[in-house]
Amino acid sequence: MLADALLRSLAGTTALLRVTGTNTSTSQSEVGLVATTFADVVISPVVMRKLRPSWQDAGQSKWELLVSATGVGQQVSALDLASAQSLFAMTLAVTVAGQDFLIESIAANEAFGQVYLYRLLLREARPQAV
Amino acid sequence: MQNAKDSFYMALRARLAAINPDRTVLLRGSVRPGILVEEAEAPFNQLPNDVFVLRWLGLGTDLELASTMAAEECEIVYHTCGTQTFGGLDRGRSLGAMDDELVAMLQPFHTPKLSYTQTPPAAMLTQVFWDEPAFTPIVTQRDLIGRSAKLMVYSYQEQGE
Repeated sequence: MLADALLRSLAGTTALLRVTGTNTSTSQSEVGLVATTFADVVISPVVMRKLRPSWQDAGQSKWELLVSATGVGQQVSALDLASAQSLFAMTLAVTVAGQDFLIESIAANEAFGQVYLYRLLLREARPQAV
Repeated sequence: MQNAKDSFYMALRARLAAINPDRTVLLRGSVRPGILVEEAEAPFNQLPNDVFVLRWLGLGTDLELASTMAAEECEIVYHTCGTQTFGGLDRGRSLGAMDDELVAMLQPFHTPKLSYTQTPPAAMLTQVFWDEPAFTPIVTQRDLIGRSAKLMVYSYQEQGE
């Protein structure tokens, strides 16, 4: 809760996790023929911060998304998932302020054995054809 | 060539499910045989362990024949950290098991070409065939060992392709 208050005080915003649905038509979806069903999962509060510029990875900017563990926990329960890791594993992209990002890595901050904040290292996604 | 790529993947997928039904992967919410096409999945920041990953590389065509023949190079990448039971000390044996599974999956070196744009998949007139895999040396990254195998997949271009 304290983490949520801190995130909100730092102009906390909302992130959308684009998660994949379970497909029944596996043979076609596995070869990229049928688009998987997607759903946008709203997580808040979150804070986005740009990491120090680097010349690696073809000059793409990297960002860190600080995500409230409470917000993640609510969505994990709503989607009936086993853990937050399952939610992140299902996530294709993260959208913040209309910009898509790909998850590079995930870390969790804990206090007294309980996660209070997830830190997602993000990379800007390249635009896809319409 | 897309039908050949799809048929090759689906053949290997079906053969793997028969050879080792326990090799599965949880991907996009479904449990599938432990093989995937890299270009048909979400971008990976780290390839999954104990799974065969198909990666399509070079492309060549032979236009001198009665039917155009297309050849595409396929790299099959796989690595493992071993099992928890053995604390990862069996990673060499796990990789050896994957080597054997891959060799078994690739035989016979042909499969009927199907068009997966239709449901059920429509059989085409020709076969997809491939040569023997060329295995790369093992690459060790701390607790992870892996290797890849490259092979050429051939098919004749049929009308409408």
